[in-house]
Amino acid sequence: MNKNSILKRWGRGIIKNKKASFGLYFVSSLIGLSIFGPLFTLDPTAFLGAPLSPPSLEHFFGTNGQGQDVLSQTIAGARQTLLVAFTTGFFVVIIGAFIGGAAGYYGGKVDDFLSLIINVFLVMPGLPLMVILASWLPPGPLTLAGVLILTGWAWNARVIRSQMMSLKGRDFVLAAIISGESNSRIIFVEIMPRMLSLLASSFIGASVYAIGAQVGLEFLGLGDVSTVSWGTNLYWASNDLALLTGSWWTFVPTGLSIALISFSLTLINFGIDEVTNPRLISEKNWKKELPDNTLNNGVTPVVRKNV
Amino acid sequence: MSKNLISIKNLDVKYITNKKPVHAVKDVSFDIKKGEIFGLVGESGCGKSTVVQSIIRTLNPPAIITNGYIKYNNKDILSLSVSEVRKLRWSQISIVMQSALNALNPVLTIKEQIIDVFITHKGMSKFEAVEKSKELLELVDIDRDRLESYAHELSGGMRQRVVLAIALALTPPLIIMDEPTTALDVIIEREILLKILELRKSLDFTILFITHDLNLLLEFADKIGVMKKGELVEVDITKKIKLGGEKEYTKKLISSLPSASGKRGIEFFPEPNLPSKTGIPMLEMKNINKEYLIGGFFKKKTLHAVKDFSLRIFKGEIIGLVGESGSGKSTIAQLITRLETQTSGSILLNGTDLKRNRSKNVSLGYRKKVQMIFQDPFGSLNNIHNVYHHLSRPILRHNIVPKIKLEKYIYKLLESVELSPGKLFAKKFPHEMSGGERQRVAIARALSVKPDLVIADEPTSMLDVSIRMDILRILAKLRNEHNVAILFITHDLASARYLADRIIVLQNGKKIEQGIAEDLIQSPKELYTKQLIAAASPGWLENAILEQ
Repeated sequence: MNKNSILKRWGRGIIKNKKASFGLYFVSSLIGLSIFGPLFTLDPTAFLGAPLSPPSLEHFFGTNGQGQDVLSQTIAGARQTLLVAFTTGFFVVIIGAFIGGAAGYYGGKVDDFLSLIINVFLVMPGLPLMVILASWLPPGPLTLAGVLILTGWAWNARVIRSQMMSLKGRDFVLAAIISGESNSRIIFVEIMPRMLSLLASSFIGASVYAIGAQVGLEFLGLGDVSTVSWGTNLYWASNDLALLTGSWWTFVPTGLSIALISFSLTLINFGIDEVTNPRLISEKNWKKELPDNTLNNGVTPVVRKNV
Repeated sequence: MSKNLISIKNLDVKYITNKKPVHAVKDVSFDIKKGEIFGLVGESGCGKSTVVQSIIRTLNPPAIITNGYIKYNNKDILSLSVSEVRKLRWSQISIVMQSALNALNPVLTIKEQIIDVFITHKGMSKFEAVEKSKELLELVDIDRDRLESYAHELSGGMRQRVVLAIALALTPPLIIMDEPTTALDVIIEREILLKILELRKSLDFTILFITHDLNLLLEFADKIGVMKKGELVEVDITKKIKLGGEKEYTKKLISSLPSASGKRGIEFFPEPNLPSKTGIPMLEMKNINKEYLIGGFFKKKTLHAVKDFSLRIFKGEIIGLVGESGSGKSTIAQLITRLETQTSGSILLNGTDLKRNRSKNVSLGYRKKVQMIFQDPFGSLNNIHNVYHHLSRPILRHNIVPKIKLEKYIYKLLESVELSPGKLFAKKFPHEMSGGERQRVAIARALSVKPDLVIADEPTSMLDVSIRMDILRILAKLRNEHNVAILFITHDLASARYLADRIIVLQNGKKIEQGIAEDLIQSPKELYTKQLIAAASPGWLENAILEQ
């Protein structure tokens, strides 16, 4: 592979892109913090000081209703929350690629059957199903990830199916068929790389969705409340009437982290969009260079210097 | 001398991009006199459309005009205000676009689209406008009752006439025609051009005619400008261009035009060596029919794409399959490559019948024997992979050479399609190559597995005129070197004449006529074949006018 490969060019573009690199930087530092942070912080489940004491030098983010250190809880919570989020994102894309890809590529009866399954999952009301499943299965991160994958994969499969349908009729696919390539090679080596930006942004989209949904479920008490995650942090804060007592430090750090990680993931998504679709960037550039009154009036602007 | 209607001086058009601006039109100057037909010719991407779109200023940013004048009746169009430009459009300068299907709105009737012009520009009442529209349709030989039709209810030629009628509506002094006949079949193209010339006599307008087809311009233009890479290479009267012009590029364009009549020149290819047609044919199609079901739930129709078609191809033979769009020639290619399955009839490879099995379960052995070259070299290679990948996959799949010899084999293959050094080209990605280079890679891929038959589906029609002959020459050379049979599918009788040993003429899915190439050209039997030959021969327009 030389440096002109499209995949490598995208890779370089992502690193150069401001939005994407900021997002990547923040997400990877949060992942790092969630892996190594708990080694340096206090035990998040231990009773360490007076309940609901505001931020102080001893406890930077104060303590919650159980007298636990909020900083340690926020860092420890990141680990489970991100693990569930990225696991969900990963499997949603993989399942979507397999089922949607097969449906789109083979067409006919295979498509009829797989589309039926996809449609059944699409019309199932997701939120009630999530609530029922989460309360019925033994609580825990594995259950959460499973429930989110089950309710989240269908939409993604649908998107990949339609992309596959548009790509499979292209000449380069027909050429591969005629040259005798096997179907699996055509799907995974010829077609899937062309969908890389779609797959990457599906992964990120699904991860963002998984963070929100999982925090929501746990906030409702449908997670394992004995573990530490961002969702259970909020659950306990609400249980301890944090709003009524005015102890903002029990929920603001967690809430802010959720907002920030979703924001950074979305920034990466924007970055991927801009890199794989260069027109988005160039439009911004030429709009800067032209006088306002020449834009969008349907007449070619004339910028003559020596007239 | 009549005065200049339009005068372009030092026109520069740039596209703003991320990096350096793209200089699409560089310092172009030419004049068009009143009543003239000015032809602007060039290959795709040469900037000819950009020039004409600057005249009516319909280019949208990021395109900007950075230098020069465009004077229309001595008034500079480039210094007009937005509302002045709008007034100028259509009443003074109108345009006929290439694709008539896209130029017409599919959800409005023809009537609504024509009266719109009258109501907007002339402020006519609706009744007046409808009456005017009827007259206009008759002017272009369309029945006035057709006014209530939608675009999809008209044929391609009729649609182009409607677009022409809309351009004529306000009888503007200048009409720009941007490839008005490119999407049409040759016989219809001929009718439309005759109509345009006839109307010009009565309505007296000036024409700026844009095309990639120099042959066409030589028929009727007064003056021709040749463009290349944004620059105007040469402007001269048609007579001088016809003799070869002064510039090297013009000469190359002129010399790359094959003709379907007269004596067959030997400057392109040596005489074909006709292979012996004895024994079992390599591939045989017997009474093939292909029907497609079209339409929705309630209105099912069958489209009979191929009717009772039979074909025998012997080893080392080149067969030209000539037909216009919709003649079923591409369907035949899909049937032979098993991308589609015939409705009835049988296909035999070396005498053994291929079962009508599903297209995706064709045996590897068959895939090795029958390969294909596609029309569009920009679509048939995967942008993700480099040339080496494209060539190595089929070779490994069919075990053509052992792995250690693979690299050398690929380099040799690339050099045999005149991409040398092969080592350099093997590393390239499709987007780093020109259309002609990509098509050569596609040819190399088809040949990589040493097939018995290569189907070439319009292999040159997406390429620039100046490199078409090179591709055909390579195909002819490879036939001699590898003794491979080629089914050359084309709409262009002239190029089939030069490449093929035998020609089969198709119309509406049916075989009209077949014969040895030169015999068929010299003494065609069917009227349709005669028309095709006439439309692809120099001087056809003059002859047609004389006939009238």
